[in-house]
Amino acid sequence: MARVLSVDMATADVADRIRPYAPLALLIILVFGVNIAEPGFANFSTLSVVLADASILFILAAGMTFVIMLGGIDLSVQAAASFASMVVAELLPRVGYFAFPITILVGLLIGLASGFVHVKLRISSFIATLATGGIMTGLSLLMADGHTVAILATGREQCLWIADAWLFNIPNVAFIALVVAIAGMLVQRYTRFGRYSVAIGAGEPAARAAGIAVDRYKIMAFGFSGALAAFGGAALAARLSSGSPDLANQLLLPTIAAVIVAGTAITGGVGSIGRTVVGAAIVSIVRIGMTFVGIDIFAQQIVFGAALVFAVFVTIDRSKIPIIK
Amino acid sequence: MLRVDAINKSFGGVRALRDASIEVRPHEVVGLIGENGAGKSTLMRILSGSMRPDSGVIAVDGSRVALRDTHQANECGIALVFQEQSLLVNMSVAENIFLAQEGPFTRFGVVGRGRMMAAARACLAKVGLDIDPARKAGELSFAARQMVELAKALALEDRTDAPLTILLDEPTSVLESKDIAILFDRMRALKARASFIFVSHRLDEVLEISDRVYVMKDGAVVAERSADVSSVSELHAMMVGRELDGEYYREARQASSSTDIVLEARGLTVDGVFHDVDFALRRGEVLGIAGVIGSGREGLARTLFGFLPQSAGTLRINGQETILRSPTQAVAAGIGYVPRERRVEGLVMDMSVAANVTLASLKAAMRHGVIDHRLERKIADDWIRRLGIKTPSSAQVCRKLSGGNQQKIVLARWLTARSHILILDHPTRGLDVGAKEEVYDLIRDLSSDGIAIVLTSDTLEETIGLCHTILVMRDGAITARFAAPAGAKPTQVALLEHMV
Repeated sequence: MARVLSVDMATADVADRIRPYAPLALLIILVFGVNIAEPGFANFSTLSVVLADASILFILAAGMTFVIMLGGIDLSVQAAASFASMVVAELLPRVGYFAFPITILVGLLIGLASGFVHVKLRISSFIATLATGGIMTGLSLLMADGHTVAILATGREQCLWIADAWLFNIPNVAFIALVVAIAGMLVQRYTRFGRYSVAIGAGEPAARAAGIAVDRYKIMAFGFSGALAAFGGAALAARLSSGSPDLANQLLLPTIAAVIVAGTAITGGVGSIGRTVVGAAIVSIVRIGMTFVGIDIFAQQIVFGAALVFAVFVTIDRSKIPIIK
Repeated sequence: MLRVDAINKSFGGVRALRDASIEVRPHEVVGLIGENGAGKSTLMRILSGSMRPDSGVIAVDGSRVALRDTHQANECGIALVFQEQSLLVNMSVAENIFLAQEGPFTRFGVVGRGRMMAAARACLAKVGLDIDPARKAGELSFAARQMVELAKALALEDRTDAPLTILLDEPTSVLESKDIAILFDRMRALKARASFIFVSHRLDEVLEISDRVYVMKDGAVVAERSADVSSVSELHAMMVGRELDGEYYREARQASSSTDIVLEARGLTVDGVFHDVDFALRRGEVLGIAGVIGSGREGLARTLFGFLPQSAGTLRINGQETILRSPTQAVAAGIGYVPRERRVEGLVMDMSVAANVTLASLKAAMRHGVIDHRLERKIADDWIRRLGIKTPSSAQVCRKLSGGNQQKIVLARWLTARSHILILDHPTRGLDVGAKEEVYDLIRDLSSDGIAIVLTSDTLEETIGLCHTILVMRDGAITARFAAPAGAKPTQVALLEHMV
């Protein structure tokens, strides 16, 4: 009996130790898997397409990571990104490079507003961000009567720092994402905000009782999410040379998936920006790899859903969660 | 007849039950007493099927039974009336009584409301409760809800042939005296239908209602007494298992406190919780607040940490008038709080020891505006050594440590934050005897370092033993103040007079 128990414990220990690396292993298996199914996938030009896709997804997901770590959710990211694409497209001909910081600032303010609605009016983040997202979609539609705003020659030059590939044909947006990733990891590891995010997500009552100004940090997280969503949207606009009210549609679920696939718990407290890097890569490879191996465009959602269930199932130990909601 | 034989149960390294054996005969009320942590609640949980023993036998009418879940316990005639009430407040009384037992009222998948209401009315009649079973449980008073729970337990009669045993876990702790009298009346009447196990801290009540009493201590059943030949003082002595002496609470180390007032309340009021509270807390003083549930002492403790906003009165900290609107402000004012719910409010259980130690004063571990992880480890290691915290390292997550060590980490946090006022809200709850004594030592250390302490405790004995001064509260107001210098401690009876 005692022996059986100790063997069980040992297996559990090993499983605990392996689990953090499961997403990384999954990523490698995916690359090899797609490459075996359709040789030529793992070549430079395809992977750089994946990289560009993953980079934008990551920028959106990085902001979302802060919110999810705190135990909330931001459903407004795709609306915020689309709205930002409109704002940046409208501003570029008028103010040039300044369009980018202004757009990010607008995103930050909208994020802070979502956070305020959630925290101070005590409305769940699910509803609060659904509502602010709706408002932003409406604003985007009003801006150009529902039309796309093309970034013409005057603005296109200012987009090159995002849209071009200056070094070894690696898309610039990948380097930008790398900067965001490193900054995010530093914020998580070395700042008050990073530490308190984990504390609030893992035990809000204890964080409150330790004197942490929980409300303030929650609002900040939504601000980050809004700012990064706006930056992601602006980057998308730069790459596609246009802003559109539905530019980032279909990106909400992949963004959430990128965060949780790599083991950040949707319930908060567990996770990191580093994991989201891996998660964004996994989601992008599944998305692009499916097209590459020739899966029917209509069937891709099915594969994507199944892959999501599988990935989350293997990366989080569910036995320690008493109630699944 | 229900027989429990040599039950053992451990949690991690702590043995909660050691060869515990009791017996409940038909139509009998059995009292079960013991200090906090003696194992009463664990035994109740095992009998109610919500926890499984490591070893031991449970037998009903001579045949061995396995109580794997609440449902099986019910089949064996055992039902628990919860200490923290378990009724779903958004459902009707009838729905609550027959929750998950709707089978007999269901035809073609539809629950027959009329039949259920009639059956519920019959159940309520058994406990003498005359209310409409269609009412929402949340609309009822506490006492009425308890009666509904009792009715729910009695509804088992119709489902099982086994003799009924109803477990009452601290049923009187939240009741007023007239409701307690009603409860006892019902229990006497219901003895014809069922047996009871009655768990309570109030020994006089236990003696009044029980036929026999079992005394538990440190997980074992140490004595069995017939209620008509025992007395409160005898039970108390067996329960505590030692002579009451000053040594246990380190009274010899109780230094006289200084005259510097660090915290002063004048007419402090929180509407509906307590009113017109005056006191002064001095450097190095341990100030106890005694009172039953509902006396306002819990609210007072939480107000002093900014959880409840004051509605009137003044609070001065170091002579400075201060209004505490949030725990953040309380921490900034140099106040620390050791909550009773250690696992919820005390620690972020899944963060490391080091991160929990610096949680209230991250600045101490920061250099040039960023967290210095080496400095943080050093701070944590320092407290681990000084407070004797048993942990493999400062990187260990707190969930894996014992209650006593967790409590020390909470204290280390406030020491790191250099709090000069500590609110200790039931600081020894759920700790075993050894860990309690360590906490007592720590309280004396803090006190002699000049930290002022406000203490609420589970037992009067602890309050009296540890404190310099004791405030007694009743119905939201202070009813008495006692000086409790070493060697001239007030008695429990003296305090009790002002509590109830």
